[in-house]
Amino acid sequence: MIEGAEDIAASALRHFTARRLSNKLWVMDGEETTVSKRQLGIALLFVGLLGFSAILAIDILDVGRQGGIGPAQTVALLVMAATAVVGLTLIPLGDAPA
Amino acid sequence: MKRASSRAHVAAMTAAGAALLFSFLVYVLYAANLIGFPYDYDQGEGFEVHDSVLFSQGQLPYRDTEIYPFYASNYPPLFHVMAAPFVWFFGPAYWYGRLLGFLGSLVSAAAIAYAVYRDGGRNRWIAVVSGLAFLSSNFVYHIGPLFRQHTMMVTFETLAIVMLAGAYPRRDKRGIAGGLFLLLCAGYTKQLAAISAIAAVAWMFIRQPGRALRWTLAFACAGAAVFLWLNIASGGEWWRQAIVANVNVFIAEQAIGLFILWFKLHGLLLIPAALLFVYELYVDRLSLYGIWFVAASLLGGIASGAWGAGDSYFVTSIAAICILSGIFFARILAGVQVMPRRLHDISAAKLSAVAMLAVPLLYLGYARATLKMPTDGAFSHIASALNIEGNVRQSFYDSASFMVGGYARIGYPLTAEDWAAGAEIARLIKESDGAALSEEAGFSMAAGRDVITNPTQLRNLDRAGLFKGEELLGMIERREFGIVILRALFYPPTVLQALDGHYELSHRVHMNGFDYNILYPRAQDSR
Repeated sequence: MIEGAEDIAASALRHFTARRLSNKLWVMDGEETTVSKRQLGIALLFVGLLGFSAILAIDILDVGRQGGIGPAQTVALLVMAATAVVGLTLIPLGDAPA
Repeated sequence: MKRASSRAHVAAMTAAGAALLFSFLVYVLYAANLIGFPYDYDQGEGFEVHDSVLFSQGQLPYRDTEIYPFYASNYPPLFHVMAAPFVWFFGPAYWYGRLLGFLGSLVSAAAIAYAVYRDGGRNRWIAVVSGLAFLSSNFVYHIGPLFRQHTMMVTFETLAIVMLAGAYPRRDKRGIAGGLFLLLCAGYTKQLAAISAIAAVAWMFIRQPGRALRWTLAFACAGAAVFLWLNIASGGEWWRQAIVANVNVFIAEQAIGLFILWFKLHGLLLIPAALLFVYELYVDRLSLYGIWFVAASLLGGIASGAWGAGDSYFVTSIAAICILSGIFFARILAGVQVMPRRLHDISAAKLSAVAMLAVPLLYLGYARATLKMPTDGAFSHIASALNIEGNVRQSFYDSASFMVGGYARIGYPLTAEDWAAGAEIARLIKESDGAALSEEAGFSMAAGRDVITNPTQLRNLDRAGLFKGEELLGMIERREFGIVILRALFYPPTVLQALDGHYELSHRVHMNGFDYNILYPRAQDSR
């Protein structure tokens, strides 16, 4: 073992970890990390589909409830459908910042 | 050619500015007429006065409604805390709360003008007319000078959004903290501000997710700490009164009617605002104003369909519309609005030339669409020139008319008869023996009696299955109330039934366009 190699390795590891952490924080903070139009589109599509299914599921799961889809549910369904459609149209716009 | 177009622009902008200034004048006169009126103008104002009185005495208005005086509030505290120092000096009164609301609306307009000036290329004219356009809205006009926390919520929201939009991209920590603090103030003024908070956090996340998460965590902790303190200090009544009992049925027709009315009144600015949002969504980067506009329009509009809600739920979206449309117009006029690739045939210069006349005409059209004014006295000549006549109370014109459910049926000036009618009801309370049960608190306060019950809150609690009312029903059955004043019949059905059984209608007093029913105990042998 070369003399002092352990210290050098430990120092390199410390340096590497600190640098990685610092890089990570910088990336978290930096102008570069921003949500892209594609990511926003996927998120909106996901929220829209999930919300739409969840609202429909209220009627399927809540067996005791009477009256079917009410006015508030209809409005919520429309909003969720619109959210999903907007999301879908944003996906082709790629990495442009949202 | 360019000179002529510039002259036409100046002339048209002057006309648009004058039309919006006229609207502002009507607003100031309405506020001046209303501020000193010592009774309810809008149903429920008196209870907000009473909340301020309780805060001024160091008490919380989130209380047990099963015990006398059966009073509780469902509103967050900040607006009433702001009014509390006035109670120390002037006692219970409406004027300072109405003045605070009115001044709040002016601050919102100034913030809108500043945002358009700062972010729209420093066009002073467009900035000023954007602020005036906000004050010209029929919805803002109604609620601005009322003793209501709603206007102050919009003021805090607008200040917060304008501050965050400037501070977040510059990483100005003080500005971001200030903006989030103002959002917190808005939330503790009225719960509806949650929509603006969602919009702000979403925008911050889209811009820089890491930083947004850290700021949001701090913001949520501060909000939760206040929430927890209120709940502990009120023995859990804050949660019961302001959260659990604050859910009402959704009336789809009301929401749809208000959406249509909102579009009809504000469409000329709403469409340009929506165009800028679509442009940001697909071509440019999303601004905070754009996300705020969509969230406030959609979620605020849907919330307007709840029982007890109304046109005021659109006021936040109107602030966003005025900012977005102002920025859009200012950029087009300056010739700096870059067109999408597919529309490259339209140059920015061509667009600017068209906008020179189109923009002021849009503001002029907006001023006409939102027109409301008295049609008698000094205004009669203007009314004849505009070919309008009173469609509200004979001597007041409102372009919105009163045909939509949830639209505030107010806005006209008060008369000497209204003052006399209010004084008459207060006199009847003073002359009565025993406690007075009034559906509006102002009369009881004017007569120096206890404020007993908050009917809408009892109704909310009743619908949530949280109101028994045994002690109140007992007092009614024992006919312990010397006089009962009813207007909108907002009490829970059990209370109304008990009143019907033990009290009888004496006569009606007409005040401010509404009938106030005066009831006295039935003779002991009846029923």
